[in-house]
Formats: sequence, C-alpha cells, structure tokens
Amino acid sequence: MGPVPGALSALQAVLAAEDAAIFGYGVAGAHLAGRWLAAAEQDWTGHNRARDTLSAMISRLGAVPVAAQAFYRLPFPVHDAASAMALAAYLEDGVTRAYLGLVAVSDPRLRELGALAMQGSAERAAYWRGRTQAFPGLPASALLPVRPAGQSG
Amino acid sequence: MLLASATTLPLLLAATGCRSAEAFAGPDPLAGPPSLSPDVITLEAVIAAEANLIHLYKTAISGVSRATAPLLSQHEQHLTQLAARLVIPPGYRGRVGPESTVPAGRPSGLPQLRAAERASAASLVRQLGSVEPALAQLFASVAASHATHVAALGG
Repeated sequence: MGPVPGALSALQAVLAAEDAAIFGYGVAGAHLAGRWLAAAEQDWTGHNRARDTLSAMISRLGAVPVAAQAFYRLPFPVHDAASAMALAAYLEDGVTRAYLGLVAVSDPRLRELGALAMQGSAERAAYWRGRTQAFPGLPASALLPVRPAGQSG
Repeated sequence: MLLASATTLPLLLAATGCRSAEAFAGPDPLAGPPSLSPDVITLEAVIAAEANLIHLYKTAISGVSRATAPLLSQHEQHLTQLAARLVIPPGYRGRVGPESTVPAGRPSGLPQLRAAERASAASLVRQLGSVEPALAQLFASVAASHATHVAALGG
C-alpha cells in the first residue's frame, strides 16, 4: 500500500526546506561569533539530522529524495551579524511553512510529526528574530478577515 | 422552463420512480437543531482552552503582565481566528462563552503560564488527527505559537 495522497510531495517539500536551511546556516554562521555562532551550529546540526530522517522516510516510501541544490539565492544580502540573524529567522520561517504542509495530509502520524517540528522551527525563528509570532507558518491569506470589535455594517 | 405545481409534483415524482418520502429523505427540519459535527465540538473545546489561557494572562501578577503583553495579544488573535471559524446553529447552547472555567484564586505567575502554554500546545497536537486539514493547520500554527511562548516566558 502506498503513502496517503499528498504525503510524499509534502515530505519532499519539507526536505527541500531543510536543505535550504542547511545551506543558509552555513552562510549565516560565517558572520556570527560567540553564543550566536554556537546557536547557529546547533541549529545547522539539527537541520542535518532532520534532512537524514526525511530522506530515509521518503526512501522507505519507494521514492528518491529530492537532491539539495548546489547553491541557493539568498533573500537579501548577508554581510553582518544582524543580517545573518535575519537570515536564520527567514530560513526557520520557510521550514515552518513546509512542515505546515505536512499537517494537511490525512495520516495522523505525519500530522503530528509536522506539528511538533513546527514548534521547534517556530522557537528557533523566535530566538533569531527576538520576538514571537501569532501564527507561525500560516500565510496571511489563511487568516479570516475579522472586523475589530465595535465596528459594524 | 419546467414549473411543478402542487398537483404536478407527485406526478413528476412518480414518473421518475421516486416516492415523496424518498425525495425528501434527510434530517427533519422540525425535529430541532441538528447534532454538531466532531469538528465543531473539537473547535469549541479549543476555543474554551484559549479563553482560559487569556484569563490566566489577565490574572497574572502585575510584574508579569507587562512582560507578557505581546503574548496576551497573540492569544487574543488566536481566539479571534478560532471563534471566526465556529458557526453555532441557532438555539444551540454551547460551552463557549465569556466565562472562564479557570477557578478564581491566586494570581498566576510565570510557572503557571509556562505550564499552561506547554499543556495547551500538547493538547492542540493531540486534536490534529480528528479535524479537517485547514483546521488542523490552524491548530498546529497556534500550538507552535504557544510553544514559542514557553521559551519567551523563560521556559
């Protein structure tokens, strides 16, 4: 019996996001020092572990894991510690969004895996950004427009 | 255009092989409010839990409340989005309301807030398997936000 519909593509998307994060942390780490560098190295190691786990899962499903790209275009120039930390937060946001896709598949185990991984990436994003977010991973378009209290019509 | 009057409708139904009872099979609109779907029941419980978290934050000791104002604001956004997805049939008396189920007592402090955030994140993840995908994604995002709050509270 094959994987539930959507599971394989969602896993491949998460793997691609993890690969991008691995590359990006390599760039960010070059501009960090001290405890910030230690945190980046720890996160880089975590993403490598996740990449290996995801590759194994995809292989068990009978598919070939997507290969990492040789180079990734950075979303903005990274030239100092501040932009390196902004990049780390950006990378974690991408990973969170990818795991959110896994939460939409019908397999409850994959949903749980995705949700727990989202918690980790959202915590790391908050660490690098210095503040928390109300809806990690969710695009603004997924939120219902809600009229502020007291307005009508 | 084909118009069916009170006299022609039974003839039409007979011609198509339907009996009137079959044609109108389904819930009886006069039998009272329909039972709620599992998604609605789960959503109600999640909304109540979020309201309780907000109550905990609002009763936190004053020194804590200043530091936690952004987190409280995010909980209020969670509650707004969750409640916006809940449509209760007219006449139904649900569990969601302004009253909190948190008993009055000592003001909550950081350890209580951390524990409540952690428990809420875990509870949301447990509910994921039983709801439709879009709601599962909202629950997962809210749970991730709660997890970040644990760290922000020093956990």
